[in-house]
Amino acid sequence: MQIFVQLVVSGIALGMIYALIAFGYQLTFATSSTLNFGQGEALMLGSLVGLTLVGYMSYWLMLPLVLVFGALQGMFVERVGVRPTLKTKSEFGWIMTTISLAIIFKNVAENVWGHDDLTFPSPLPMEPLQFFGIRVLPMEIMIVVGAVAIMLAVEIFNRKSIYGKAVVATSNDRDAAGLMGINTGMVITFSYALSSLTAAFAGVLVAPLTLTGSTMGVVLGLKAFSVAIIGGLNSGLGVIVGGLILGIAETTTGYYLSTGYKDVPGLVLLLVVLAIKPSGLFGKLAIKKV
Amino acid sequence: MSIKIKSIITALAFASSVSAFAADTIKIGVSGPFTGGSSPMGVSMRDGVKLAASEINAKGGVLGRQIQLVERDDQADNQRGVQVAQELINREGVVATVGYINTGVSLASQRFYQEAKLPVINNVATGSLITKQFLPPEYPDNYVFRTSANDTIQSSMIVEEAIDVRKFKKVAILADSTNYGQLGRADLEKALAAKHITPVAVEKFNIKDVDMTAQLLKSKEAGAQAILTYGIGPELAQIANGMEKLGWKVPMIGSWTLSMGNFLDNAGKNGNGALMPETFIQVPNTPKRQQFITAYLETYKPANGRIPSPVSAAHGYDSLYILAAAIQQAGTTDGVKVREALENLKTKISGVVTTYDHPYTHDNHEAITRNMVVMGEVKDGIVVYANKADEKRK
Repeated sequence: MQIFVQLVVSGIALGMIYALIAFGYQLTFATSSTLNFGQGEALMLGSLVGLTLVGYMSYWLMLPLVLVFGALQGMFVERVGVRPTLKTKSEFGWIMTTISLAIIFKNVAENVWGHDDLTFPSPLPMEPLQFFGIRVLPMEIMIVVGAVAIMLAVEIFNRKSIYGKAVVATSNDRDAAGLMGINTGMVITFSYALSSLTAAFAGVLVAPLTLTGSTMGVVLGLKAFSVAIIGGLNSGLGVIVGGLILGIAETTTGYYLSTGYKDVPGLVLLLVVLAIKPSGLFGKLAIKKV
Repeated sequence: MSIKIKSIITALAFASSVSAFAADTIKIGVSGPFTGGSSPMGVSMRDGVKLAASEINAKGGVLGRQIQLVERDDQADNQRGVQVAQELINREGVVATVGYINTGVSLASQRFYQEAKLPVINNVATGSLITKQFLPPEYPDNYVFRTSANDTIQSSMIVEEAIDVRKFKKVAILADSTNYGQLGRADLEKALAAKHITPVAVEKFNIKDVDMTAQLLKSKEAGAQAILTYGIGPELAQIANGMEKLGWKVPMIGSWTLSMGNFLDNAGKNGNGALMPETFIQVPNTPKRQQFITAYLETYKPANGRIPSPVSAAHGYDSLYILAAAIQQAGTTDGVKVREALENLKTKISGVVTTYDHPYTHDNHEAITRNMVVMGEVKDGIVVYANKADEKRK
């Protein structure tokens, strides 16, 4: 039993990382029905920028700067990659543009920070804490707390503030919101800023536990995408549950089945969800009227 | 128009062939990963080769000609390695190539050297299969040589250390899912079977895996007294850090990747006590080693005065000296003659790892034997001799 709990605890920490990145996918999908396929690269850039900044200041001082960087990076992606394709009503143009931008970001990072995996200094002690024989790293707790906090902050913003209402209105019906005087273009840019901001935040959260490097975003971005599909692309709760399912599935199958198959259950789950409930576990079925 | 282009191309081709004659250098290829997870080994190997080349050139080169190295990054990628091999052979016209860090890349690429009848010396890659890919009767002559300690030697040393020296009865194997990891795992299992021991757990992990909890818990629950590893630096560091997290500390004994800089840095104090077979440890206990270490540190100024991968640097350095001696003895750069010279080297070559006395024969293409390898141990971020007796032995 103790082992199971230990595996679940590790899985939760892993799952919350996936959930946080998946949350970013969901943010832009809600407002513009587009996704930033460079979400993993946004995470990588955030963590590498954080690593550079941390040489000059403390971790906590660096955090807001990385968030600002993430927001700017997201706005850049939207302006350069997504807006032109939305303007021309291109259905799939944004897929290719966000992927190309992701590749460009990766190459830039390789040239600036090199190809090596770098160690990210941890702001918290690396000695594990013990609860009833379960060992948890302080950093893992911070990941869970940080991820939940930023998702809550975004949700509260959307529900309570007038600007948030504009975001919600745009997600519900972009054309109607536009007719009501909401600057939907601005809202979409904002959602991209928010999306990359959460990714950059995820980057500096995980970096002390993993290693930082130009390739760190590829695997994480892909897994988070399947989390977004499992949970449902228009449900905030869905990505958290999806992330936890995938994270726990990975650690437990690694133990109980075989470590050679640890990536399989998550993918099988993805296939099952797509077959039974294509809009995701918590997704609302979108009926497209023609 | 097309005639014009044709004539330009002809002119260019002619010009380049003329310049090749004019330069009159001996081109030697260097292929290795200079970027990515195994780059500490690739870069150290390349720098070792460069160091040897500049020393040889300073003394007048080989056959009165200067050595020119053509370095290419194979990115530890099998397909990229194949492209590099073809480029080096067909476009650059190298007379031989030294290099290869990754067993998979080596196995995929060296076929082209075999077909072109050009010698290729593997100076770091350790897969047991590497020198046995082209054997008689199918291939009368084998053009693949090696100057590193192969996995058969390494795995049997790892098992000896765990079972005979430390008297462990239960061991777990953790290996990555690459060619390197899985071939090494097979070698470890074979060596354990020879001692009638079955590992209590055999676990796998992927490159870039960030969580080793499942693998470690399985080993722990199975009662493993030691973990035998086959992987590369970053993931090995995750294993060491994962053990610290689980509060479970057993010795890590593994292949010599446990001496890579990115393991030592990323594992920090959690890496202490890790044991690995080594052919060279950065300790100046012979005059040749002293000279090599001083020259390397002065030329490349690595961080903290630590060669990123001392073994790779030493083997890279030695491999070029062996190749140069063979070309000198052959009196030509013809691949067949150089191979014959390699298989019957008359001069003794005083290298960093050892003094090579007839390192190869027609049927033996392995320069390193068991008695040249010692155990190293990680101590506060550097690798030292695990047994003091080995350090005194020259």
